Amino acid sequence: MSTPFLSVRDLIVDFHTEDGVVHAVDGLSFDVDKGTTLGIVGESGSGKSVTNLAVLGLHDPETARISGGITLDGEELIGASRSTMERIRGNKAAMIFQDPLTSLSPYHTVGRQIGEVFRRHTGASRAAARDRAIEMLTRVGIPQPKTRVDDYPHQFSGGMRQRAMIAMALVCDPDLLIADEPTTALDVTVQAQILDLLRDLQEQTGTAIILITHDLGVVAATAHDVLVMYAGRAVERGTVREILGEPRHPYTWGLLASMPRLSAPVDLPLRPVRGTPPSLLNVPPGCPFHPRCDYPDLAGPELCRTVRPELSPHRGHGDACYLTLAQKREIHR
Amino acid sequence: MLRFLTRRTLGGILTLLIISAVTFFLFFAVPADPARLACGKVCPPELLEQARHNLGLDQPLFAQFTAWLTGIFAGRDYGGLGYCPAPCLGYSFVNRAPVFETILDRLPVTVSLTIGAAAVFLAFGVATGIVAALRRGRPTDKIASVSSLVGASLQIYFVGTLALYFLVYKNQILARPRYLPFTEDPLGWAAGLTLPWMVLAIIFTANYTRMTRSTMVEQLGEDYVRTARAKGMPGHSVVLRFALRGTLITIVTIFGVDLGALIGGAIITETTFGLQGLGRLSLNAVTDSDLPVLMATVLVAAAAIIVFNIVVDLLYAFIDPRVRLN
Amino acid sequence: MRVRERSAVAVLAVGLLMLTGACAEGGQGAPAASGDAPAASAEPYRPPTITVGTADDSRGPAIAPEGVVKGGTVTMIDRDDFAHFDPAQSYVNTATNFGLLIHRGLTGYKRVAKGDYRLVGDLATDPGTPSDGGKTWTFTLKDGVKWQDGSPITSEDVKWTIERSFASFITQGPTYIQQWLTETDHKKAYQGPYDGKRLDAVETPDDKTVVFKFKTPHADANYAFAMGGYAIVPKAKDTKEKYDKEPFSSGPYIIKSHIVDKSIDLERNPNWDAATDPIRGAYPDKWRMEFGQEALQITDRLIADAGPDQTTFTFYANVPPERLQQVLGDASLAPRLLKSPSPYGNYYYFNLDRVKDVKIRQAINHAWPAKQIQQLYGGPAAAALPTTILNENTTAGYEPYDLFGKTTKPEGDIAKAKELLAQSSNPNPTIVYAYNQTPLQEQITVAIKSSLEKAGIKVVAKPLDRKTYYDSIGLVKNDFDLYWGGWGADWPSGSTVLPVIFGPVADGAPNYAHLKDPALTEEMEKITAMTDLDEANAAWMALDKKVQETITPLVVAENRIANTLHGSKVGGAEIDPQFWIVSPNTIFVKP
Repeated sequence: MSTPFLSVRDLIVDFHTEDGVVHAVDGLSFDVDKGTTLGIVGESGSGKSVTNLAVLGLHDPETARISGGITLDGEELIGASRSTMERIRGNKAAMIFQDPLTSLSPYHTVGRQIGEVFRRHTGASRAAARDRAIEMLTRVGIPQPKTRVDDYPHQFSGGMRQRAMIAMALVCDPDLLIADEPTTALDVTVQAQILDLLRDLQEQTGTAIILITHDLGVVAATAHDVLVMYAGRAVERGTVREILGEPRHPYTWGLLASMPRLSAPVDLPLRPVRGTPPSLLNVPPGCPFHPRCDYPDLAGPELCRTVRPELSPHRGHGDACYLTLAQKREIHR
Repeated sequence: MLRFLTRRTLGGILTLLIISAVTFFLFFAVPADPARLACGKVCPPELLEQARHNLGLDQPLFAQFTAWLTGIFAGRDYGGLGYCPAPCLGYSFVNRAPVFETILDRLPVTVSLTIGAAAVFLAFGVATGIVAALRRGRPTDKIASVSSLVGASLQIYFVGTLALYFLVYKNQILARPRYLPFTEDPLGWAAGLTLPWMVLAIIFTANYTRMTRSTMVEQLGEDYVRTARAKGMPGHSVVLRFALRGTLITIVTIFGVDLGALIGGAIITETTFGLQGLGRLSLNAVTDSDLPVLMATVLVAAAAIIVFNIVVDLLYAFIDPRVRLN
Repeated sequence: MRVRERSAVAVLAVGLLMLTGACAEGGQGAPAASGDAPAASAEPYRPPTITVGTADDSRGPAIAPEGVVKGGTVTMIDRDDFAHFDPAQSYVNTATNFGLLIHRGLTGYKRVAKGDYRLVGDLATDPGTPSDGGKTWTFTLKDGVKWQDGSPITSEDVKWTIERSFASFITQGPTYIQQWLTETDHKKAYQGPYDGKRLDAVETPDDKTVVFKFKTPHADANYAFAMGGYAIVPKAKDTKEKYDKEPFSSGPYIIKSHIVDKSIDLERNPNWDAATDPIRGAYPDKWRMEFGQEALQITDRLIADAGPDQTTFTFYANVPPERLQQVLGDASLAPRLLKSPSPYGNYYYFNLDRVKDVKIRQAINHAWPAKQIQQLYGGPAAAALPTTILNENTTAGYEPYDLFGKTTKPEGDIAKAKELLAQSSNPNPTIVYAYNQTPLQEQITVAIKSSLEKAGIKVVAKPLDRKTYYDSIGLVKNDFDLYWGGWGADWPSGSTVLPVIFGPVADGAPNYAHLKDPALTEEMEKITAMTDLDEANAAWMALDKKVQETITPLVVAENRIANTLHGSKVGGAEIDPQFWIVSPNTIFVKP
């Protein structure tokens, strides 16, 4: 098997704050291949965004401590120089953020914000950059791109802003695109359009995509592989079919149960995961999910509460839970 | 934009009209009689009447006001003293000169003082603010914060008097504060105003350092600044083109207020440094009950503040397209 | 002349400039209340003697001060520019003092030695010749006195000068001569020469002789002519109102440039001849005057005494309160420190319409806390404690007296006051004291209240607004019993003080005590009519004492002392005791 395009190994991200050390990401590993989409799912605070900011080196260097390994196309990114990172960002690896309104500069035109990435990484002229911006706006489906290129973000609708954001991310044909909750701020019909757009673009360019979301529905529609994160760790990993069809981790079950399904009876109540996510300043010992788990005693009286479960098996569909496969199948039925 | 300007200009003129009317009538509400001051010795009623007539104070109040107002546009005849062409802001019997001439003579002093000091403290304050924001928590930041706190608590007459004694009178390191017209002697102009600029800068810089720092810290945490970094924009560009842009709004706002404060504080500044600008002029006008000069200085100061406000609003629009296009 | 106590509006903590005047202009700072001031000078202050000189005294040149050097440029710095250049509009001491540099009058004061002054002929050959019992005065102009263009100064110029002072645009100068020549309402009698009408009372039999014919005798008219307000204006160059901006020089200097409120540059007048001038030394070649400096800055510059500031002095800026102790305590500054007590009469007037019992008025005089008030001013170096109505500096033939023990018991004699109150109509009277609401006056009021209350007098303090202070106490029907007021003599004679402050009672008139005594009025008229000046001066002095003894219409107030520094290379700097301002006549620049 060839080396994956993006490989994250044992990533640890700690933030040193006045209150103590926040273990935002605690030993995370995953791979993404070209042309595939990895969906990273989890509640807020599970470490999904931090992981991806770490990939691009966008964390605050004053407070964040990062260790482990991140290789992109064979190049180690942890500890890379600032200029290396600046060269990679927006070029080889680009990012789309959740709220296009706040993530686009209100002070510059859309065209300029797109064009400047192109100029920065290709050294193109102002005019060429503008042409490229128009081209990108056309590609992401902005009507009348030649006039809209001179508009400011606040003159765009929400969906158009996210399209512009995507255009900006894709302007240098990146090999890796990190989309952090790209559709959360948008209404449902626009969500679908944006996801379609991402899919189409991936088909055309073969870009690897990391799609961060708390919405399993989005994952179902877009991702090839899924990583479920909880308290800074991966709790389940597998293909989209495996995760949605045969979920193994009680947390994944909870996520699925909290999601409305068209196939389910209308009167079936949605069941949110009970309790609240743990504080990352003070992660519970053992399985970090055990305080919220319905079955903490099934694997023995103390195991879940004292010993941290590891993701297993190491390849393919794996999960971090002490329940036996039989127990999991039994319960999930 | 044009409509905005027209609206604001008309509003400004109306404000000036109201301010001049209020100043005018307030002046007469205070029972100090300018004719009495202009009258010597025992001042028998006849002489007082004479002085009153010479000063035009025997006219009905409203007529005096309208005469003053029309003088601005049409000019006025002052008999033996000659004709005062438009814009005639009146004739000062204390200064023995048309007020407009005096204003034209004094305005450059206050303007030079203000502009020069503003340039120094704006550049210096914003620069230290940016550095402090980028190095927040480190010694540079702490030094900047503490010194700005000290600076902000100082007073012009205190720092000014000390600086004058040690830098000018005693050791003659700097030139004695004085005003030379820029057009005649640019170097002398700068040399003569260096000390006042420095003293004003010490006091005002603090505010800019503090405001720039806090707004900058806020801006550096903004999503779009993160986006800029995610796009691979180099560090200086992220700071200057993205984060600073958002900080400018705050800076422009306090700058507008401070320019007004500088004009208002000109009395103290000019008194401390012995410069004859509008501040001193207005102070003398109050002491001498010199209504025409008082009116003119109030009017000029008010006009300046109104213009600053319009300029600040224009700058908002220039900085932030959301303001401009809505 | 009226002495105003009003505060400069400067909102500075730097120090409030307290005494500004219609006659005395700002700059005399009020020293802050502080502990014991060091005794300033060992030798007691000696008031000047001012006598009438002779034709011989009237010849130039002026008597040079010790070590005089001619030439160089002297710099004068002050807060305010001069209010007027037209002599007829000049009353304030700052303006008339500057006038000495560019104007000349018929008579003037010649400094013979320190504290010794003589009234001499300036443009005139002698200090004038009275005849007809003092109703007619004749002056003869010197040979060789010229205007700045070289044309001779003539008797016609003198006549014109007096005539134009009747014109309607002249409102601020002195009015003595005009009233003596015509009537009290002099502007009704004559409206000036501009419509072609001339004034017959001034005669010019020839180019050199001018004769004034007054309606009543005025033995001291030659003193009146020494006022800066009666300096001569050239008929040929009279530009009426505009003359105030463009004066034509008869004095030793010409105004080379004047930027209002900023600077004046003077250069020599080639047509002034020192040989004709007994008064003005005019030693520096050039004068540079700069305005806009506060007293504090001026004092700091002069203390530092560095570079060009060594040849700098100030006409009028006083050492401000916050520097006074430092300056007095620094022995190295002593040679450069000038001191002079105020020449003005300052009084706390009783309102005789309300405080009718003379025993009560005398009791208050005895209980007066003069020393405490002196301390509030800054101690003996900052304020003197006069005992007479007429000021020692401005009274020829001054004779001191002390009726209320101010010299022996300056802190107040409470026992004596109680004794007098016991004999009075009301041993526990209530006194309404009105005062000018300034920080210093607040403190002084507390001192007065505390002292008088010890004697059993209840004091109700009424603060008055600074701007309208004189208007309030000037009302004849006022509700106050006691209030401060100032008056300055126009020449060294009781004739410009007593007949004014005890003159007609009217709203705004300076008889704040409302003293109406036919016998006194008659007495004053009698002295005014005296033809022998020495006799008159002695009579004024005696009347001063008699009034305080028999009527006691006022408490003589404390008197400020001016403290002024000058640069180390300025020679001949001296405060003129009569005008309370550094005289330009003796100034020279040391090499």
